[in-house]
Amino acid sequence: MSGYRFDRLKVLVVDDNVHMRKLVSTILQAFGVQQVFEAESAERAWPLLRENNPDVVILDWMMEGMSGIELTRMIRTDAQAPNPFVPVIMLTGYTSVDHVRQARDAGANEFIAKPVAAKTLMSRLVSVIEHPRPFVRTKIYFGPCRRRRANDEYHGPERRADTAQQAAE
Amino acid sequence: MARQQPIELFMPPNMLKAKVGGGLGGIDMGALKRAESALENLSGEFAAWLDQDVGRLVEARKQFSKKPGAESRAALLRAAHDIKGQAATFNSPLVARIAASLSRLLGEIPPGGDLPAGLVDAHVQAVQVIHRQNITDVKNPMAQTLCAELDAKVSEMLAKA
Repeated sequence: MSGYRFDRLKVLVVDDNVHMRKLVSTILQAFGVQQVFEAESAERAWPLLRENNPDVVILDWMMEGMSGIELTRMIRTDAQAPNPFVPVIMLTGYTSVDHVRQARDAGANEFIAKPVAAKTLMSRLVSVIEHPRPFVRTKIYFGPCRRRRANDEYHGPERRADTAQQAAE
Repeated sequence: MARQQPIELFMPPNMLKAKVGGGLGGIDMGALKRAESALENLSGEFAAWLDQDVGRLVEARKQFSKKPGAESRAALLRAAHDIKGQAATFNSPLVARIAASLSRLLGEIPPGGDLPAGLVDAHVQAVQVIHRQNITDVKNPMAQTLCAELDAKVSEMLAKA
Protein backbone atom coordinates (compact mmCIF):
# COMPACT_ATOMS: atom_id res chain seq x y z
CA MET A 1 0.00 0.00 0.00
CA SER A 2 1.50 3.29 -1.07
CA GLY A 3 -1.08 5.58 0.52
CA TYR A 4 -1.50 7.93 -2.43
CA ARG A 5 -4.59 10.15 -2.31
CA PHE A 6 -5.52 9.63 -5.94
CA ASP A 7 -8.96 10.96 -5.06
CA ARG A 8 -7.41 14.43 -4.97
CA LEU A 9 -6.20 14.24 -8.56
CA LYS A 10 -7.76 15.85 -11.61
CA VAL A 11 -6.84 13.99 -14.79
CA LEU A 12 -7.57 14.96 -18.39
CA VAL A 13 -7.79 12.05 -20.86
CA VAL A 14 -7.56 12.97 -24.54
CA ASP A 15 -8.20 10.26 -27.14
CA ASP A 16 -10.30 10.27 -30.28
CA ASN A 17 -11.32 6.67 -29.69
CA VAL A 18 -14.26 6.46 -27.32
CA HIS A 19 -13.34 2.93 -26.20
CA MET A 20 -9.82 3.90 -25.22
CA ARG A 21 -11.15 6.89 -23.27
CA LYS A 22 -13.58 4.59 -21.45
CA LEU A 23 -10.79 2.09 -20.66
CA VAL A 24 -8.41 4.70 -19.30
CA SER A 25 -11.12 6.50 -17.34
CA THR A 26 -12.28 3.19 -15.82
CA ILE A 27 -8.75 2.40 -14.68
CA LEU A 28 -8.25 5.89 -13.24
CA GLN A 29 -11.58 5.81 -11.40
CA ALA A 30 -10.69 2.41 -9.95
CA PHE A 31 -7.44 3.95 -8.70
CA GLY A 32 -9.65 6.43 -6.87
CA VAL A 33 -9.40 9.45 -9.19
CA GLN A 34 -12.71 11.25 -8.86
CA GLN A 35 -12.26 14.01 -11.40
CA VAL A 36 -11.58 12.56 -14.84
CA PHE A 37 -12.21 14.90 -17.76
CA GLU A 38 -12.44 13.42 -21.24
CA ALA A 39 -11.89 15.04 -24.62
CA GLU A 40 -12.21 13.40 -28.03
CA SER A 41 -9.76 15.75 -29.72
CA ALA A 42 -6.87 18.04 -28.91
CA GLU A 43 -9.02 20.98 -29.97
CA ARG A 44 -11.71 20.02 -27.42
CA ALA A 45 -9.05 19.33 -24.80
CA TRP A 46 -7.62 22.85 -24.84
CA PRO A 47 -10.62 24.64 -23.28
CA LEU A 48 -11.03 21.79 -20.77
CA LEU A 49 -7.40 22.17 -19.86
CA ARG A 50 -7.78 25.88 -19.33
CA GLU A 51 -11.01 25.58 -17.33
CA ASN A 52 -9.99 22.70 -15.07
CA ASN A 53 -6.21 22.94 -14.80
CA PRO A 54 -5.70 19.16 -14.45
CA ASP A 55 -2.87 17.66 -12.41
CA VAL A 56 -2.00 15.09 -15.09
CA VAL A 57 -2.76 14.89 -18.82
CA ILE A 58 -2.96 11.49 -20.54
CA LEU A 59 -3.17 11.81 -24.29
CA ASP A 60 -3.18 9.86 -27.49
CA TRP A 61 -0.69 10.72 -30.19
CA MET A 62 -2.60 10.06 -33.40
CA MET A 63 -5.85 12.00 -33.58
CA GLU A 64 -7.78 13.71 -36.31
CA GLY A 65 -6.84 17.39 -36.43
CA MET A 66 -4.24 18.42 -33.89
CA SER A 67 -2.04 15.52 -32.75
CA GLY A 68 -1.04 14.68 -29.21
CA ILE A 69 2.46 15.87 -30.00
CA GLU A 70 1.18 19.30 -31.07
CA LEU A 71 -1.02 19.55 -27.98
CA THR A 72 1.96 18.70 -25.77
CA ARG A 73 3.97 21.51 -27.37
CA MET A 74 1.05 23.91 -26.79
CA ILE A 75 0.79 22.88 -23.15
CA ARG A 76 4.49 23.58 -22.67
CA THR A 77 4.85 26.80 -24.62
CA ASP A 78 1.52 28.57 -25.18
CA ALA A 79 1.09 31.67 -23.06
CA GLN A 80 -2.54 30.64 -22.40
CA ALA A 81 -1.57 27.25 -20.95
CA PRO A 82 -2.66 27.13 -17.31
CA ASN A 83 0.29 25.04 -16.16
CA PRO A 84 3.24 24.44 -18.48
CA PHE A 85 4.73 22.00 -15.95
CA VAL A 86 1.75 19.63 -15.91
CA PRO A 87 2.90 16.01 -16.34
CA VAL A 88 1.99 14.68 -19.78
CA ILE A 89 1.74 10.94 -20.33
CA MET A 90 1.66 10.00 -24.02
CA LEU A 91 -0.44 6.91 -24.67
CA THR A 92 0.02 5.54 -28.16
CA GLY A 93 0.04 2.60 -30.52
CA TYR A 94 3.47 3.71 -31.70
CA THR A 95 6.23 1.61 -30.23
CA SER A 96 9.52 2.52 -31.91
CA VAL A 97 12.41 4.23 -30.15
CA ASP A 98 12.14 7.04 -32.68
CA HIS A 99 8.56 7.70 -31.61
CA VAL A 100 9.54 7.70 -27.94
CA ARG A 101 12.20 10.29 -28.81
CA GLN A 102 9.69 12.46 -30.68
CA ALA A 103 7.27 12.39 -27.75
CA ARG A 104 10.08 13.29 -25.37
CA ASP A 105 11.24 16.11 -27.66
CA ALA A 106 7.72 17.56 -27.67
CA GLY A 107 7.78 17.71 -23.85
CA ALA A 108 6.03 14.50 -22.77
CA ASN A 109 7.09 13.18 -19.37
CA GLU A 110 6.20 9.54 -19.89
CA PHE A 111 5.28 7.23 -22.74
CA ILE A 112 2.91 4.24 -22.66
CA ALA A 113 2.70 1.88 -25.64
CA LYS A 114 -0.77 0.46 -26.18
CA PRO A 115 -2.28 -1.95 -25.29
CA VAL A 116 -2.76 -0.19 -22.00
CA ALA A 117 -2.45 -2.15 -18.77
CA ALA A 118 -3.53 -0.94 -15.33
CA LYS A 119 -0.10 -1.73 -13.88
CA THR A 120 1.71 0.32 -16.54
CA LEU A 121 -0.59 3.28 -16.03
CA MET A 122 -0.08 3.09 -12.27
CA SER A 123 3.69 2.92 -12.65
CA ARG A 124 3.75 5.99 -14.93
CA LEU A 125 1.56 7.89 -12.45
CA VAL A 126 3.89 6.93 -9.61
CA SER A 127 6.82 7.98 -11.75
CA VAL A 128 5.49 11.51 -12.35
CA ILE A 129 4.62 11.83 -8.65
CA GLU A 130 7.85 10.46 -7.22
CA HIS A 131 10.44 11.24 -9.87
CA PRO A 132 9.59 14.56 -11.49
CA ARG A 133 12.27 15.71 -13.87
CA PRO A 134 13.86 19.12 -13.79
CA PHE A 135 12.67 21.48 -16.49
CA VAL A 136 14.88 22.84 -19.21
CA ARG A 137 14.47 26.05 -21.14
CA THR A 138 16.62 26.53 -24.23
CA LYS A 139 16.12 28.49 -27.43
CA ILE A 140 14.46 25.52 -29.05
CA TYR A 141 12.93 23.53 -26.21
CA PHE A 142 10.92 23.96 -23.07
CA GLY A 143 9.90 20.93 -21.08
CA PRO A 144 11.08 18.15 -18.81
CA CYS A 145 14.79 17.38 -19.00
CA ARG A 146 15.16 14.73 -21.67
CA ARG A 147 18.12 13.07 -19.99
CA ARG A 148 16.62 10.36 -17.87
CA ARG A 149 19.74 9.68 -15.83
CA ALA A 150 22.28 12.12 -14.51
CA ASN A 151 25.72 11.29 -15.85
CA ASP A 152 28.38 13.18 -13.93
CA GLU A 153 31.09 10.99 -15.41
CA TYR A 154 30.59 12.36 -18.92
CA HIS A 155 33.42 14.62 -20.12
CA GLY A 156 32.83 14.63 -23.87
CA PRO A 157 31.54 17.43 -26.10
CA GLU A 158 28.29 19.22 -25.22
CA ARG A 159 25.33 17.27 -26.55
CA ARG A 160 22.49 19.78 -26.16
CA ALA A 161 21.95 21.04 -29.68
CA ASP A 162 21.85 24.76 -29.02
CA THR A 163 24.73 24.73 -26.50
CA ALA A 164 26.91 22.91 -28.98
CA GLN A 165 25.90 25.38 -31.67
CA GLN A 166 26.77 28.36 -29.46
CA ALA A 167 30.12 26.87 -28.48
CA ALA A 168 30.95 26.49 -32.17
CA GLU A 169 30.11 30.14 -32.78
CA MET B 1 34.58 34.69 -25.66
CA ALA B 2 32.34 34.13 -22.69
CA ARG B 3 29.48 31.87 -23.49
CA GLN B 4 25.99 33.20 -22.91
CA GLN B 5 23.76 31.16 -20.65
CA PRO B 6 21.67 29.27 -23.22
CA ILE B 7 20.18 26.76 -20.81
CA GLU B 8 18.01 27.30 -17.82
CA LEU B 9 17.61 24.16 -15.74
CA PHE B 10 15.32 24.25 -12.76
CA MET B 11 13.16 22.03 -10.61
CA PRO B 12 9.55 23.20 -10.32
CA PRO B 13 7.92 22.54 -6.93
CA ASN B 14 6.44 19.04 -6.82
CA MET B 15 2.79 20.07 -6.48
CA LEU B 16 1.62 16.62 -7.44
CA LYS B 17 3.41 14.95 -4.54
CA ALA B 18 2.15 17.64 -2.19
CA LYS B 19 -1.39 16.92 -3.37
CA VAL B 20 -1.46 13.10 -3.31
CA GLY B 21 1.02 12.44 -0.51
CA GLY B 22 2.13 8.84 -0.13
CA GLY B 23 5.44 8.00 1.40
CA LEU B 24 6.49 4.63 0.14
CA GLY B 25 6.55 5.43 -3.53
CA GLY B 26 5.49 2.04 -4.78
CA ILE B 27 2.61 0.58 -6.70
CA ASP B 28 -0.64 0.77 -4.77
CA MET B 29 -1.61 -2.91 -4.94
CA GLY B 30 -5.12 -2.28 -3.64
CA ALA B 31 -5.81 0.29 -6.34
CA LEU B 32 -4.30 -1.99 -8.95
CA LYS B 33 -6.56 -4.88 -7.95
CA ARG B 34 -9.59 -2.59 -8.10
CA ALA B 35 -8.57 -1.49 -11.61
CA GLU B 36 -8.09 -5.04 -12.83
CA SER B 37 -11.45 -5.99 -11.41
CA ALA B 38 -13.08 -2.96 -13.08
CA LEU B 39 -11.56 -3.98 -16.42
CA GLU B 40 -12.86 -7.51 -15.91
CA ASN B 41 -16.34 -6.08 -15.37
CA LEU B 42 -15.97 -4.03 -18.53
CA SER B 43 -14.79 -7.00 -20.60
CA GLY B 44 -18.35 -7.98 -21.48
CA GLU B 45 -18.40 -4.95 -23.77
CA PHE B 46 -15.12 -5.69 -25.55
CA ALA B 47 -16.62 -7.79 -28.36
CA ALA B 48 -19.09 -5.02 -29.23
CA TRP B 49 -16.34 -2.42 -29.08
CA LEU B 50 -14.15 -4.42 -31.42
CA ASP B 51 -17.15 -4.83 -33.74
CA GLN B 52 -17.41 -1.05 -33.94
CA ASP B 53 -13.67 -0.59 -34.48
CA VAL B 54 -13.62 -3.21 -37.27
CA GLY B 55 -16.70 -1.57 -38.81
CA ARG B 56 -14.86 1.76 -38.74
CA LEU B 57 -11.88 0.19 -40.50
CA VAL B 58 -14.10 -1.32 -43.23
CA GLU B 59 -15.85 2.02 -43.72
CA ALA B 60 -12.54 3.89 -43.87
CA ARG B 61 -11.34 1.43 -46.52
CA LYS B 62 -14.52 2.08 -48.55
CA GLN B 63 -14.06 5.82 -48.31
CA PHE B 64 -10.43 5.56 -49.34
CA SER B 65 -11.46 3.53 -52.41
CA LYS B 66 -14.12 6.06 -53.34
CA LYS B 67 -11.97 9.11 -52.79
CA PRO B 68 -8.26 8.32 -52.45
CA GLY B 69 -6.32 11.17 -50.90
CA ALA B 70 -4.37 12.30 -47.87
CA GLU B 71 -7.48 12.75 -45.72
CA SER B 72 -9.06 9.36 -46.44
CA ARG B 73 -5.68 7.65 -46.12
CA ALA B 74 -5.14 9.29 -42.72
CA ALA B 75 -8.59 8.12 -41.59
CA LEU B 76 -7.76 4.57 -42.70
CA LEU B 77 -4.44 4.72 -40.84
CA ARG B 78 -6.15 6.01 -37.67
CA ALA B 79 -8.70 3.18 -37.81
CA ALA B 80 -5.95 0.55 -38.25
CA HIS B 81 -3.78 2.19 -35.60
CA ASP B 82 -6.63 2.19 -33.06
CA ILE B 83 -7.22 -1.53 -33.61
CA LYS B 84 -3.50 -2.20 -33.34
CA GLY B 85 -3.48 -0.50 -29.94
CA GLN B 86 -6.71 -1.91 -28.54
CA ALA B 87 -7.52 -5.31 -29.99
CA ALA B 88 -5.14 -7.14 -27.65
CA THR B 89 -6.96 -5.58 -24.69
CA PHE B 90 -10.21 -6.79 -26.29
CA ASN B 91 -8.79 -10.35 -26.30
CA SER B 92 -8.04 -10.36 -30.04
CA PRO B 93 -4.24 -10.36 -30.35
CA LEU B 94 -4.33 -11.67 -33.92
CA VAL B 95 -6.56 -8.83 -35.05
CA ALA B 96 -4.10 -6.48 -33.33
CA ARG B 97 -1.20 -8.08 -35.20
CA ILE B 98 -2.84 -7.74 -38.62
CA ALA B 99 -3.84 -4.14 -37.86
CA ALA B 100 -0.22 -3.47 -36.86
CA SER B 101 0.92 -4.80 -40.23
CA LEU B 102 -1.62 -2.58 -42.02
CA SER B 103 -0.54 0.42 -39.93
CA ARG B 104 3.05 -0.24 -40.92
CA LEU B 105 2.11 -0.36 -44.59
CA LEU B 106 0.02 2.82 -44.43
CA GLY B 107 2.46 4.65 -42.20
CA GLU B 108 5.69 3.83 -44.02
CA ILE B 109 4.75 4.25 -47.67
CA PRO B 110 5.44 7.95 -48.14
CA PRO B 111 2.49 10.31 -48.65
CA GLY B 112 1.66 10.40 -52.33
CA GLY B 113 3.25 6.99 -52.85
CA ASP B 114 1.19 4.24 -54.44
CA LEU B 115 -0.59 2.10 -51.87
CA PRO B 116 -1.02 -1.50 -53.01
CA ALA B 117 -4.83 -1.72 -52.94
CA GLY B 118 -4.84 -5.52 -53.01
CA LEU B 119 -2.60 -5.74 -49.98
CA VAL B 120 -4.66 -3.17 -48.07
CA ASP B 121 -7.81 -5.17 -48.86
CA ALA B 122 -6.13 -8.42 -47.84
CA HIS B 123 -5.43 -6.92 -44.41
CA VAL B 124 -8.94 -5.56 -43.97
CA GLN B 125 -10.47 -8.88 -45.00
CA ALA B 126 -8.14 -10.82 -42.70
CA VAL B 127 -9.17 -8.59 -39.78
CA GLN B 128 -12.83 -9.22 -40.61
CA VAL B 129 -12.42 -13.00 -40.92
CA ILE B 130 -10.43 -13.41 -37.72
CA HIS B 131 -12.83 -11.18 -35.82
CA ARG B 132 -15.94 -12.88 -37.27
CA GLN B 133 -14.61 -16.35 -36.47
CA ASN B 134 -13.48 -15.13 -33.05
CA ILE B 135 -10.01 -16.64 -33.42
CA THR B 136 -8.16 -15.56 -30.32
CA ASP B 137 -5.54 -18.30 -30.03
CA VAL B 138 -2.24 -16.87 -31.30
CA LYS B 139 -1.11 -20.42 -32.09
CA ASN B 140 -3.94 -21.04 -34.54
CA PRO B 141 -2.05 -22.40 -37.60
CA MET B 142 -4.27 -20.79 -40.25
CA ALA B 143 -4.06 -17.41 -38.57
CA GLN B 144 -0.31 -17.72 -38.05
CA THR B 145 0.21 -18.49 -41.75
CA LEU B 146 -2.00 -15.58 -42.74
CA CYS B 147 -0.21 -13.13 -40.43
CA ALA B 148 3.23 -14.28 -41.58
CA GLU B 149 2.18 -13.96 -45.23
CA LEU B 150 0.84 -10.44 -44.72
CA ASP B 151 3.95 -9.39 -42.77
CA ALA B 152 6.18 -10.72 -45.54
CA LYS B 153 4.20 -8.94 -48.28
CA VAL B 154 4.38 -5.66 -46.38
CA SER B 155 8.14 -6.00 -45.88
CA GLU B 156 8.54 -6.77 -49.58
CA MET B 157 6.43 -3.78 -50.56
CA LEU B 158 8.27 -1.41 -48.21
CA ALA B 159 11.63 -2.61 -49.50
CA LYS B 160 10.52 -1.52 -53.00
CA ALA B 161 9.00 1.80 -51.87
